[in-house]
Amino acid sequence: MATIPSVDLAIPDTRPRTRGAAGAFWLFVRKNPLGAAGGLMVLLLLIAALFADVFATHNPVRTSSRVLVAPGAEFWLGTDNLGRDLYSRVLHGARISLVVGLTSTLLGAVAGGLVGLVSGYVGGTTDLVAQRVMDIMQALPILVLALVLTAALGPSLTNTVIAISVVIAPRAARVVRASVLAIREFVYVESARALGVSHARVAWRHILPNTFGPFIVLVTAQLGGAILAEAALSFLGLGVPEPYPSWGRMLSIAAAEYAQKAPWLVIYPGLAISLAVFGTNLLGDALRDTLDPRLRGS
Amino acid sequence: MTRPRPLLPLLSLTVVLLLLAVLPAVGQNPPSGTPKYGGVLVTSPLSATPSLSPHEESTIATVQQASPCFNNLVYYDPTKKVESGDTIIPELAEKWSWQDNYRNLVFFLRHDVKWHDGKPFTSQDVKYTFDMVRGAPEAKARLKVNPRKLWYDGVEAIEAPDPYTVVFRLKHPQPSLLLMLASGYSPVYPAHVPLAEFKNRCIGTGPFKLKDNKPGELVEYVKNPDYFIKGRPYLDGIKFVIIRDRSTQIAALQSGQLDVGGSGWNKTNAENAKSGAAKLVILEADSNVNDNVLVNFKRAPFTDLRVRRAINLALDRKAYLVGPRQGAATFGGALLPKPAGIWGLPAAEVAKLPGMGDPAKQKAEAKKLLAEAGFTPSNPLKIVVSTRALAIYVDTASWMVDQLQLVGIDATLEQIETGVWHPKMTRLEYQVALNLTGTGIDDPDAQLFENYRCGSQRNFSGYCSEEIDKLMVQQSQTLDAKKRLALVQEIDRKLQADGARPILGWAKQYYVHWPHVKGWAIHENSIYNVSRRQDVWLDR
Amino acid sequence: MRTYVVKRLLIAGVTLLGMSLLLFVLMRLAPGNITDIIFESAGYVDEADRHRLEAELGIDRPLIVQYGVWLGDFVRGELGKSYRYDLPAWQIIKPRLPVTLELAVLAMGFSVLLGVPCGVISAVRRGRPLDYALRVVSLAGLSMPSFWLAMIVILLLVRSMGWIPSMTYVSPFDDLRANLAQFLLPALAVGYRSSALIMRITRSTMLEVLREDYIRTAWAKGQRGTQVVWRHALKNASLPVVTLIGIEFAFLIGGLIVTETVFNLPGVARYLVDAIQFRDYPIVQNLAMLIAVVVVFANLTVDLLYTWLDPRIKYGGA
Repeated sequence: MATIPSVDLAIPDTRPRTRGAAGAFWLFVRKNPLGAAGGLMVLLLLIAALFADVFATHNPVRTSSRVLVAPGAEFWLGTDNLGRDLYSRVLHGARISLVVGLTSTLLGAVAGGLVGLVSGYVGGTTDLVAQRVMDIMQALPILVLALVLTAALGPSLTNTVIAISVVIAPRAARVVRASVLAIREFVYVESARALGVSHARVAWRHILPNTFGPFIVLVTAQLGGAILAEAALSFLGLGVPEPYPSWGRMLSIAAAEYAQKAPWLVIYPGLAISLAVFGTNLLGDALRDTLDPRLRGS
Repeated sequence: MTRPRPLLPLLSLTVVLLLLAVLPAVGQNPPSGTPKYGGVLVTSPLSATPSLSPHEESTIATVQQASPCFNNLVYYDPTKKVESGDTIIPELAEKWSWQDNYRNLVFFLRHDVKWHDGKPFTSQDVKYTFDMVRGAPEAKARLKVNPRKLWYDGVEAIEAPDPYTVVFRLKHPQPSLLLMLASGYSPVYPAHVPLAEFKNRCIGTGPFKLKDNKPGELVEYVKNPDYFIKGRPYLDGIKFVIIRDRSTQIAALQSGQLDVGGSGWNKTNAENAKSGAAKLVILEADSNVNDNVLVNFKRAPFTDLRVRRAINLALDRKAYLVGPRQGAATFGGALLPKPAGIWGLPAAEVAKLPGMGDPAKQKAEAKKLLAEAGFTPSNPLKIVVSTRALAIYVDTASWMVDQLQLVGIDATLEQIETGVWHPKMTRLEYQVALNLTGTGIDDPDAQLFENYRCGSQRNFSGYCSEEIDKLMVQQSQTLDAKKRLALVQEIDRKLQADGARPILGWAKQYYVHWPHVKGWAIHENSIYNVSRRQDVWLDR
Repeated sequence: MRTYVVKRLLIAGVTLLGMSLLLFVLMRLAPGNITDIIFESAGYVDEADRHRLEAELGIDRPLIVQYGVWLGDFVRGELGKSYRYDLPAWQIIKPRLPVTLELAVLAMGFSVLLGVPCGVISAVRRGRPLDYALRVVSLAGLSMPSFWLAMIVILLLVRSMGWIPSMTYVSPFDDLRANLAQFLLPALAVGYRSSALIMRITRSTMLEVLREDYIRTAWAKGQRGTQVVWRHALKNASLPVVTLIGIEFAFLIGGLIVTETVFNLPGVARYLVDAIQFRDYPIVQNLAMLIAVVVVFANLTVDLLYTWLDPRIKYGGA
């Protein structure tokens, strides 16, 4: 009497293969020089954020009488109109941007991804309703929705994160759902179901892993957007309030007014934002090339 | 017979004449040659104005953009930099007279004034306006919002016995009433135009007629050819262009698109502008706008005088001058001190107010007081400093938070959106707040009653002292100038001792303009009473 | 096909309805209402007057009633009255629409003019330095905050030339040259960012198309390189680009908001920010709904266009 073959044998394992982490890493760097550069920038961002206290030269919120001093030996990037050291503020701003960016992206992506997974897998009315809700959230441009949300909820760190994640969720849902729809049709899934594997197990073991690729791509792609959204919100006066030094707010208030006398106030925070977003975008592109071969060549 | 020697007497006569000509100019806006007619002046006001009705608003933006349209009964002389009872000049009233020991104020009005729509101006318009503003039961119109109602609390009745005479009958003597009527906030409205129209239109008697109003974008005026002061205005028109962004305002001025800029600018903005266009002229003056600290008198632990004093001591005024104000502020108490103002405390006393002394010593004293009140490093005082979500407030408030932290107070900043700022303050929904206050005129009645009287809507601290209230009323009715000054200063002293509303400093104001703009006046002790602009001309 | 169109229209309607509800609720969640704002400029709040004002403005009615009234009015094309300016909302919005429209169209134009050729060149020269350079430049555009770019531009202009674009709006019908001078820079600032996305999509679709058999056939037949690229490849790559342009519109509006603020253009986008700040409910709701309507119908048109042009895509039983 033959034993019933275990379910696993009938299902090809399509999870990404690793050659050992180090090997994969160097292969990645060689094939994607731009992506590696981006990764380096992101790493610097992370280090700046995590170790801001170590690398800062001054207390970022301490005011002083050394007002609008040009960059020099004492204040590496100069001071602002309240005598605060710009370099230290930019470093601590990395923390805010990263926290807001990562948290809102992950929150939105996970929430949206779950919705996409469920709606794609279950289909039917659930799918229809979920899709409509996602459409509604996407009908308004990012900034407008975030504006209305922060106006409604008030400017604070938490509310900024919520506003941005609300904007990201529908995109994540769409990506995951598309992935699910594609995989759902595969024969091996049908076989698994025929063999009596539960929905949840099928979803968990076989469908979800295949969405990782597009999911990671989405996260890295949206991270830059999240950082920019926070900057724009702060520029417009909503977003993260004092005393957190936020890059976006540094650009809005002091910078604009004092720009002609103290251009460093405009240049460095803006440069910081641009480099951070640039790095995440480069990294995201490279990751997409590696993980999602269908889109290779973009 | 000796030949007549005219040289020496002629020379001395010339010298005397020169002196006579120059001396009065000290303390005046400088004379500027023979005025030319023509040209449209372009300027950027502080912000868009919610309406063109000064009686219903409390922002300089409205006064700036509505004053060219209106006239008052009396006005402050634009050429005299320090406003006072002595610099009041006639506008719609030719003459006026106090009767009965300052209990009745009689105005004799001009006969030759017409409204912009051609109808004649009479005493009925005056009665209509001020009955409305004082909320009289027989008033023909009612203001939606009435910010300065209490200015006219002392008015019992207004009579118009004939078309060119108006009598204000007061409950008590109030010399300050005349000064209130001279403020940019007290124009005369036409009785025959419905009040609702003033939201977006303007019918006045003033030197300029409203040509175009695009709300939020621009307000444009054109010369009034029938203005009752012959030969005025010099300009063909005025254009107020709303530019939201301060840096864009500066750039617009530098590139010549604006003739005058500077509304709401600080010293650095003015210097910035000039550094990019050297020909620009900077006008600097004091103002009656101050940065002050609101402490919630109805909430513990701020009911404790020690805690209030500690907070006051922690705020080093000299550092405030350098940081948030970039060197452009004047120290003082509840009223603006001389020479810019009239009623403030003498310099020697101001130098001894909390926060003015040696910062290290004052901070040490603050820590001691906090300890006495029961706050220690392990149990610090936690304060949320609220402020309005505007750059100028936020900067000063950030500085304030830093100072408080230096004496061991666990302070954080809360930014309140503009729209809900005053409602929150009125309802006392805060602990400590950083506030900016501008009062229409440099006068104790206005300053004290609005900000310090028990129950006043603008008394945002909830401060209430019966003794001070009595003194306030007393000074309002004191006719002798010296005695009144002494009373006012005594009130000021007590307010500072109580920490009723610690003043950080009185801000300086700036205007920056191209040299071809002449006659642009600026006053030292108010920003609100000089926007008629009928004497401005362009030297082009 | 017809059922598909009808179904999609219904779905669009439901989406918009949901959007209207969301907007209405969100605005009401914000602390402070229009009466507070009106008092705000008076500098204090008088509770008695406040209740009277609320009754006058009709905001003391139950929320459901307010919602119903608004929706009914909107559908009939009546956009109500601005609380802040006491003028019909349409009167305020109307003169601002052409400004934003002109800026959007010009920006879109620039983004296509910049993005498509760059994408094509990048695809054709794949892997070469030019490809990398173009990708870096275009990505830089995506990474910069648009308001920063605008600020730097104004700063440089005034420093180097002592000139900035006019701060008062000049209509193209009054003075075309001055109008273009005013819009050129802001349109470039916004267009630069959008061009990056268009460039990426163009590049990736071009790469795919270039691998196709019929392209290789054309080469084999001896047709010249550029001819191949432009005649065959671009035609087929244009479809995703067209769809992207439709979707880009929503992305564009965010950039318009900040650019209009910095360059002082009296457009609809900037006005929306003002209205949100001042709790001018009629304006916010109506403007945001208008934007949503435009976006939803743009998407709808694009989807239908896509289906019509490319029958290979199934949309769940067309």
